[in-house]
Amino acid sequence: MLPTIKTKPKASLFDLTALVYGPSKIGKSTWCSNAQNALYLATEPGLNALEVFQVNITNWEEMLQACQEIAEGKHEFKTIVLDTVDNAYRMCSEHVCKKFKVEHESDLGFGKGYALINNEFQRVLNKLAFLPYGLILISHSHDKDIETRTGTHTRIVPTLPEKVRKIVTGLVDMILFCDLEMKTGEDGKPVWTRVMRTKPSPNYDAGDRTGKLPEVLPLEFSAFEKALNAATAQPAHIPATAAASTATASAASVAKPTMQPKR
Amino acid sequence: MSALMTTTYSMWRLFRNCRKACELRYFDELVPLEKDGNLSFGSLIHNALEKWHSVHDIKQVLELIDAAYPDRIREERELSDWNLATAMMTSYAECYPTEEFEVVALEKNFEGPIVNPDTGSASRSFVLAGKVDGIVKQGEEYFLLEHKTASQIDASYLERLWTDFQIILYAGYLEQTMGIRISGIIYNVLVKAKLRQSKGETEEEYQTRLAELIAKSKTGKSSAKRKLPETDTEFQERLAEKYKEPGMFHREVLYISRDQFAELRGELWELSQALLDARRRKAFYKNTSYCFQYNRPCAYFPLCSSGGNPNVIENLYQKVAPHEELREGELESTPQF
Repeated sequence: MLPTIKTKPKASLFDLTALVYGPSKIGKSTWCSNAQNALYLATEPGLNALEVFQVNITNWEEMLQACQEIAEGKHEFKTIVLDTVDNAYRMCSEHVCKKFKVEHESDLGFGKGYALINNEFQRVLNKLAFLPYGLILISHSHDKDIETRTGTHTRIVPTLPEKVRKIVTGLVDMILFCDLEMKTGEDGKPVWTRVMRTKPSPNYDAGDRTGKLPEVLPLEFSAFEKALNAATAQPAHIPATAAASTATASAASVAKPTMQPKR
Repeated sequence: MSALMTTTYSMWRLFRNCRKACELRYFDELVPLEKDGNLSFGSLIHNALEKWHSVHDIKQVLELIDAAYPDRIREERELSDWNLATAMMTSYAECYPTEEFEVVALEKNFEGPIVNPDTGSASRSFVLAGKVDGIVKQGEEYFLLEHKTASQIDASYLERLWTDFQIILYAGYLEQTMGIRISGIIYNVLVKAKLRQSKGETEEEYQTRLAELIAKSKTGKSSAKRKLPETDTEFQERLAEKYKEPGMFHREVLYISRDQFAELRGELWELSQALLDARRRKAFYKNTSYCFQYNRPCAYFPLCSSGGNPNVIENLYQKVAPHEELREGELESTPQF
């Protein structure tokens, strides 16, 4: 039962969990579609222009069913893309409200509804993250006024409810912010390029605990893959495994035996 | 010889409650990026009370409150806090136009050694620093003045006051540094009114209510008018009425026993030894019973529950030197250029 060797830091995208977020139509889904053997759990329309394997998810029961089939492993998929995590959360919320026969989560009183939804959502995300596949969560971005000790600042964050944002931030290995960067062209006119920001900033959420990615990447999957696979880079932060082992323990405490829809 | 580490009672209390939280705040110097709205309201009322007790001029107090909420026109939360703070301090000034005590000092800082009760020697690692809201003289006796804002004052709130060891310990230190005998503590409690400014009815809500009234009416008519949003002036009037109710301001006097000083100083010494040990062995373990004290998650819950994920540190926290409460006063007295 107890391990005899140390786990190696996660190196492959197939072992990593990432949150990819940014403004609408910037190319988040297209970027993910280049991941090897990707399966989309499509909770919102918008994939029409892409030739991808996708499961249309319209409610939480379907989400659990899809997750169960992924966990069984009788498939060739290597990357799971949840597009979007916001809608998945909304479905989870509807599922919990239906189960407890209330119209809104606040109807359960004392924050119980929110806690039930967050626990259920976290349970499923944790379980997905610990499967031997890459997991990419997609979200949109919005500006949020954050009251800090030095005043109110505007920060670009994923469009997730605050508590879910904290859960997802703690779960993922990478937070990748898709953005437009302005450069001056040869004719002196501004040229906008699509980029991916990977390091934290006071102005937006981003992070890379593998320490392998440069601060800014072109919004191209090949550039990301190349940087991730660069052999010379070393992890910059605490070993991912240390946190993962703790997270495994906490996930185990909330995990239920299967992801079967409850009947 | 290494410099002594400044500590506060808040730090020792956190160390006693959860060593991990203490490490994150006082050694890693992390604080949540977002400010806790409840704490900043309490802090403003402390500043307003300090101003009131020093100048006794409500105009200056209200100016201080106005300056604290510059965005109240567009920020709902700011407007709500501004209304409450304005009504609270205006009514406080009317409730206590004169005081039975004389103010000796306000926002008084102190620093003193942490002493081994067995040998009488001072710690070579730590000193205790703190700040009290005020020292007042009533008759021939000195008291500490301690301001508190509360959601409500009930039996358990009043009974709990004697467990406020921080202020008792501070009284002991102030006796030493100022050479006066502190007889007790005057708790000055201000209750936060739970009223909300009415937003009025939308046209749709009004029409629904009107239809219901007409359906119930024998004449088939109703003179009901649409409820309009409550203006700031109307809301201030309603708050002022609320603050005329007994119990919205409360003073409680507690006398200190000399035995409590000795007991608390002994306790502090034990905590200092435990911290030295934890620091040496880098053993700051979590107390998960503390994660949801007061029915809300600890400020470090997202970090602990993520297993220390650096993404959480980098996106949800910032580094701020500890003991901010000791520095607040300094900022005002430091020349700007």
